[in-house]
Amino acid sequence: MTDKTEFLNGNTACAEGAIAAGCRFFAGYPITPSTEVAERMAARLPKVGGTFIQMEDELASMAAIIGGAWAGARTMTATSGPGFSLMMENIGYAAMTETPCVVVNVQRGGPSTGQPTMAAQGDMIQARFGSHGDYSIIALAPSSVQEMFDLTVKAFDLADRFRTPVFLMADETIGHMREKVILRGDVEIIPRRELGSDELPCKPDANGVPGFGTFGNGHGVHITGLTHDERGYPATDSAALHENLVRRQVGKIENFRNEIADVDIVNPDAEVIFISYGAPTRAVQQLLADYPGVYGHFNLRIVWPFPDAKLAEFRAAKAFVVPEMNLGQIAREVRMHTNVPVVTAPKLGGALHSVDELKHAADVAATATGTFTEVLL
Amino acid sequence: MTLEDWYRQDRLPHIYCAGCGNGTILNCTLRAVNELGLVQDRTTFVSGIGCSSRAAGYTSSDSLHTTHGRALPFATGVKLVKPENDVIVFTGDGDLSAIGGNHFIHACRRNIDLTVICMNNNIYGMTGGQGSPCTPYGAITTTTPYGMHEMPFDLCAVAEAAGANYVARWTSFHVKELTEAIRTGIETPGLSFIEVMAQCPTSFGSKNKMKQVSQMIDMFRTNAVLKGKAERDRAAGIPLAPGKFIVGELVRRSNPVLGGRP
Amino acid sequence: MKLVIDERRCKGCNLCTQVCPYRIFQEGKRPGPRGYVIPVLDHPERCTNCRLQIMYGRQLCGMCQMTCPDQAISWIEEKPYEAHKVVIEY
Repeated sequence: MTDKTEFLNGNTACAEGAIAAGCRFFAGYPITPSTEVAERMAARLPKVGGTFIQMEDELASMAAIIGGAWAGARTMTATSGPGFSLMMENIGYAAMTETPCVVVNVQRGGPSTGQPTMAAQGDMIQARFGSHGDYSIIALAPSSVQEMFDLTVKAFDLADRFRTPVFLMADETIGHMREKVILRGDVEIIPRRELGSDELPCKPDANGVPGFGTFGNGHGVHITGLTHDERGYPATDSAALHENLVRRQVGKIENFRNEIADVDIVNPDAEVIFISYGAPTRAVQQLLADYPGVYGHFNLRIVWPFPDAKLAEFRAAKAFVVPEMNLGQIAREVRMHTNVPVVTAPKLGGALHSVDELKHAADVAATATGTFTEVLL
Repeated sequence: MTLEDWYRQDRLPHIYCAGCGNGTILNCTLRAVNELGLVQDRTTFVSGIGCSSRAAGYTSSDSLHTTHGRALPFATGVKLVKPENDVIVFTGDGDLSAIGGNHFIHACRRNIDLTVICMNNNIYGMTGGQGSPCTPYGAITTTTPYGMHEMPFDLCAVAEAAGANYVARWTSFHVKELTEAIRTGIETPGLSFIEVMAQCPTSFGSKNKMKQVSQMIDMFRTNAVLKGKAERDRAAGIPLAPGKFIVGELVRRSNPVLGGRP
Repeated sequence: MKLVIDERRCKGCNLCTQVCPYRIFQEGKRPGPRGYVIPVLDHPERCTNCRLQIMYGRQLCGMCQMTCPDQAISWIEEKPYEAHKVVIEY
């Protein structure tokens, strides 16, 4: 397969990335602004031997891709905020049963129905903590159409490696923006580690991840969302067993947070550092081009788990500025990992940050003394 | 492969109360599966939440014990990725018709090739006996202490209207007929819906003047009206008496199927 | 063949006493090892399956086993085979 250069919107590039990564089952429900992902998958999957199904709601979509994953396929669904809220129940199930699957969330203004056609990043905390109980997930944030393709491929690899739901936290801007994108033809697919014949279905390997007992391969596994022992059997009355299970499931991702980190570190010796992900990254990149060498930039492509150790590379940092299209959701996470003043530069309503606004935020940050300051744009 | 091999022996005895009908329905299902000679590695049991849904965990083949009401969409995912598998869904009346009602309607509409066995015990057993959409009018439960004042669902009528290819209703007393219905259901392409009236002596019987398991079984025996008799009665203008229900094979048709064998 | 009740599984619901056409199962009197009152067998050699399974080469009747919610009823091989005197009651 050779590379193909096309001019696509982000959602379509995401669907192409999924096909390239070997996704062969997609269950979805229409919702603005993610619908193009489902539309492209509906057109493409039958041609590559896959299956597309439009479910009755997002609860069912999420359930179907978990079922499909256990039947052996790489599976994906795409949605936006309201649908993401509905999926939370089964996202927790996927976390507890360690089911690899990919959920694309093309974020729009919330809460509730909010602004269906406007960009936002308001689901970042929900992505990490949305379902009940303690668990961990991986969330990626693309900031270009090319990244919609590349990070979708990466999402499938991470999902299979860590046996976890992986979220592609795009936003309406990236989803609907058209750009040149190279559809790579050489995508290498790393298969899941299949459960060994003498292995227990929920006994972890050295990395904390058990082998995957695909249905139909003779493992006879029992998969349950209840607290389970290493055989996979419900065991709900042991405090120690529950704690071990939850700590292991959180640890298998969090312990690798700096190893899997996918970040850009620009001008590490600068004093004012911008931390961004998704669409605001594009504005920060423009600011850095307009004021070369003045500001540092910490661009996150994997937001969760947060790569805390990478922050230390900004040795001269006097302030971190976090421009986000929400009221400082990741800024709070940054605050947890640094003693340097953190300035949150939120912007709601769908408009992107302008270079002037970022410059203003940087000026505020240069004199910031409080540990956590909000700059009004 | 013997009948015993279909049970996950190291998990028995199961958690059901003494006299619970769910164990009987599990027996009939596994007997039907064994008689049909299904391949264990090619058979998947999917279930939701509730007493009924624990049944999947007592089968030795691959089984998916999912979230409340969502067994059918999970099963849809399994079946569409592996159409060569036989996918059998255990569910209960609350699981299927309350929280999972929408999924039930749409699975029937798609006519996806699943076998759905609904253990209808008229109540939420696992949470301690609350009223469900299938609780009979007037019945006492912990959430209807003055008697159920809503009309119950006729699940088989819903399945028929929504488009299932095979619909049958039996009780946990009619073990032979039930086994035969499950066999036919598995063999019939498309969605096969088998509603099984099951006794819940602990939560339903004890509050509704049927303290003994035998009283609940007697109730099934006397209230179940065979489909043929019900049709003759209807032709003669005799309505179905209150509390009675029709048992038998209610629908068998061959509408187009989703996810059939390749 | 010999009819047996697995005392580790039986929960004493007595459904078998209702469904056996020969009324072989009778309500028990004393609790078993898990505290449940296990039914007792009254002349189990009357069971059709015990007598005739070998002749027919398949399971006969089996109502008790199918109904038993606790999977406690089964037939085991008897070795050596013992001839039973069958009393037929009219």
